[in-house]
Amino acid sequence: MLRRLSYGHIYLALLCLLAVALVASAGVGAISYSPHRMYQLLFEATRADTLDRNIFIQLRLPRALLAALTGAVLGVSGTLMQGLFRNPIVEPGLVGTSAGAALGAALVFVFGSHFAFAFAGPVMAFIGGFVATVLVYRLSTAFGKVNVLTLLLAGIAVNAVSAAGTGFLSYIARDPQARNITFWNLGTFTTADWGGAILVAIAFAGCYLWSRRYGKALNALMLGEDEAAYLGIDPRTLVVRLLIVNTLMVAVATALVGVIAFVGLIVPHILRLIRSADYVFLIPASALLGALFMTCVDIVARVIVRPAELPIGIITAIVGAPVFLSILLHQRGRLGAWS
Amino acid sequence: MVVISLSEITHRVGNTQIIDDVSVRFSPGAFNVILGPNGAGKTTLLKIATGLLRPTAGDVRYDDAPLSHIAPSRLAKQRAVLSQTVDLAFALSVRDVALMGRYPYYGRVPATTDLAIVDRALELVGLSNKRDQAYPTLSAGEKQKTQLARVLAQIWNYDDAGEHRYLFLDEPTSSLDLHYQMQILDLARGLLRHNCTVIAILHDLNVASEYGNHFIVLDQGRVAAEVDDADHLSVDLIDRVFRVRSYRVPDSVKGLAVWRFR
Repeated sequence: MLRRLSYGHIYLALLCLLAVALVASAGVGAISYSPHRMYQLLFEATRADTLDRNIFIQLRLPRALLAALTGAVLGVSGTLMQGLFRNPIVEPGLVGTSAGAALGAALVFVFGSHFAFAFAGPVMAFIGGFVATVLVYRLSTAFGKVNVLTLLLAGIAVNAVSAAGTGFLSYIARDPQARNITFWNLGTFTTADWGGAILVAIAFAGCYLWSRRYGKALNALMLGEDEAAYLGIDPRTLVVRLLIVNTLMVAVATALVGVIAFVGLIVPHILRLIRSADYVFLIPASALLGALFMTCVDIVARVIVRPAELPIGIITAIVGAPVFLSILLHQRGRLGAWS
Repeated sequence: MVVISLSEITHRVGNTQIIDDVSVRFSPGAFNVILGPNGAGKTTLLKIATGLLRPTAGDVRYDDAPLSHIAPSRLAKQRAVLSQTVDLAFALSVRDVALMGRYPYYGRVPATTDLAIVDRALELVGLSNKRDQAYPTLSAGEKQKTQLARVLAQIWNYDDAGEHRYLFLDEPTSSLDLHYQMQILDLARGLLRHNCTVIAILHDLNVASEYGNHFIVLDQGRVAAEVDDADHLSVDLIDRVFRVRSYRVPDSVKGLAVWRFR
């Protein structure tokens, strides 16, 4: 049924659901606000509302936005990486982008005084994420083809090294946030503020607009590098540009919220199932569905063990790992062997 | 007349000489066939002629313009390549795949003409009724016909009588049954009437002599023979190049000579 809908209709449906989810996300928490109360706090606040207004504007809103933006980043990133590796099991958590970025950001947290330049965290996260992703890409690609087994193994190795580095750094850290190993491994939105939300918004907006032009090229790449080249696309330039744009947005998000796995895996997978594998569709749709998915996960994380909250990565792993396994089994069934 | 010419092409990979001083012209408006045993350098030569590979030495020209001076986006409108088999890891529809042929022509959204050309191309290969089917669920023959539709859409030229186009075929029918094999080659031959030149690597000598009207025989990276008439492919040449013992018998229906092997 959904397959008959036009892309525009699906974008619109996702956008409406996202709007509802965002309102819910801004309302839910230790203190709950109804939509009417939110309106009051925003536009008709009296002196008696100061506390609520501060909670709502300084905590709830940036958190809801940061979660949605992070989801959008991870969704688009998963889509781009799957296109690049030509494989549906790829996502920033698997190919080392997130773990490498976390290592870079952790370096800044621990040795902050040595990185006396603006946006040192995101910049180092970018470098870490880029090195990790390029390493996995180079290790798993030979003669223009991606070997799934090598890809998985290279991903495991690079992730392990990055996680070990981050773990070590958090152990010697003084900064309370850097000491928090769950922050790095499972992700959290508890530290959200307007500064972070705006930073991720800028990174996402730039990278999203940039990546949208590669929809056709990623489709053509599905045919193979040679066929893409015959259509006038230079696969090498495409690979480099995609690695940069992808790492850029993942690095900024990871530096702020830590590593959140599986979102980039699930989101494009669902979109392919309900509508199409066309990247022209997947890139915008995965931004919307990623934002929607992450907003819902964040709501669940805050509600399920109220007044405490769960790390985000626990929920994404519970949903994502079975999806990962099912895709892997499907691939094995189809290809017979992975080599 | 527009023509692709390769002059003094040499290509090495490491210490291996794959193409050794080859000069050929693909006759314009003709069905050019490249013949040769495995490892003769046929596919490498095709990749050089299409601009995918830059030769170690030598010069490729499209109608007097050096190939290296033609922008990839422009080249993509002049020539298209149908390879052996193309599989997709993801379930695009037949129409989505064929639409890729129009990618060089539009920005983000395909124009009405692009969509119309894709529909015509699918009609031509007989896949109109399967346009919404997922590509991975097709048979090998249908997949190859989808790819042909994509390639036809890429060099579509029927109405505007515009630039001359080139269709390259790299063993396009090697995994197909007789029906699909003939259908695909018939469609390729049909393009000759539409300001297009065909350059095909074929393995079957009888199929080659049936369709081709210009033959280039490669052996060990060199041109062993270049003839316009299939009858001029000598038994000696075929025996030597393909390491077989062949003879020819007349075909009483079409009057062509048919290759047989001992």
